[in-house]
Amino acid sequence: MSGYLDGQLDAFDAIYAALAGRLRGYLYSLCRDASLADDLVQDTFMQLHRSRRTYEPGRPVTPWVFAIARHVFLMQRRSAGRRLRFEETLVAEARRADRPRDDVAALVDREEVRRSLRQVPADQRQAVLMHHVDGDSFAEIAARLGIRVNAAKTRAFRGMKKLRALTKGSRD
Amino acid sequence: MPTPKALRDAIGRDLKPTRPLPRPMLRALTLAPIAAAIVIGLPALHAFRGDMGVIGFVRAWGFSIAQTTGGLVIIALALRESIPGRTLAAGTVTTTVVGGLALPMVMVVLTSSRFDIGPGAGRGLVEGVACFKTSALAAVPAVIVAAILAARAFPLRPGIAGGLYGLGAGLMADAGLRLYCDYSVPSHVLFAHGGAVAASMVAGAFVATAVARARP
Repeated sequence: MSGYLDGQLDAFDAIYAALAGRLRGYLYSLCRDASLADDLVQDTFMQLHRSRRTYEPGRPVTPWVFAIARHVFLMQRRSAGRRLRFEETLVAEARRADRPRDDVAALVDREEVRRSLRQVPADQRQAVLMHHVDGDSFAEIAARLGIRVNAAKTRAFRGMKKLRALTKGSRD
Repeated sequence: MPTPKALRDAIGRDLKPTRPLPRPMLRALTLAPIAAAIVIGLPALHAFRGDMGVIGFVRAWGFSIAQTTGGLVIIALALRESIPGRTLAAGTVTTTVVGGLALPMVMVVLTSSRFDIGPGAGRGLVEGVACFKTSALAAVPAVIVAAILAARAFPLRPGIAGGLYGLGAGLMADAGLRLYCDYSVPSHVLFAHGGAVAASMVAGAFVATAVARARP
């Protein structure tokens, strides 16, 4: 670990070789999805790299790494939950109609949402999709688009407001 | 198991020598000048309590220094909580919070000679709000510095870390306040002094949560 803190890439390789297998097993036991566990292992090592200064020399590496891995798993689960809630909102909007609905009508509604989304200004649409569909945090969106966090929030909020107005308008 | 190429490239692009953070207690000592400024500055700016001569040096200054040290230790615990793999046990967190919130009352019980000194009739709320505001505002600089120190680490439970450093900062502020306010009626100590410490703790939890959400 001290070699890695000194900036040696070979030392990182050694840490990866020593821990990746155990980490994968641990993450698989949490998520029960092999491909997701592989992704989470990569995310864990990226997060480990970003917070490497928090490692205290002389202390065991394993509890530090596994605590980061658990955090990465919890964050993934939270963003997946947010994505699911958004999809449920879309479905609920599609069902919110006066007459009894069938599957065809639901599909029409979903198409309506897609069509309305295309009418939302591009920058707002991008923020809505990144936050509500991809599950990115506003900080992540801000970093990726090179804007402030508040600007990302504003774009997503205005985009959702416009989307609601458009979907409501198309039904009225 | 070899490192995947994409991960290795990403790490390699950003890899440079990094100095580990100092130990939590050492980092908490960064706040010692602020603690000293509060304990000395708060009564110096307003007025020293009227019974300083009666309670004596140890019960006045000695207990305030002990309370400030307690606040610094709690901030050190918060900074330890901010390191992955070194999170505190639930029992430790509970004991610290309960003990910290009770400390202003305990200090009055240990140091006051009588427990009926309070604001005059009809002045309870005004004096209570004044003490609350003075103590809560005095804790702000310590909360800000502690938030910066914690954010330099990686708190996995930001609400707990923030609550603890807010509690520590609140106790440091109360250590100064008790050298200025000599009211010993339980209602005043509990709501004005204890309330300010609790408010500082809640503020710390909010700040830490907001900082964690803004983290990429």
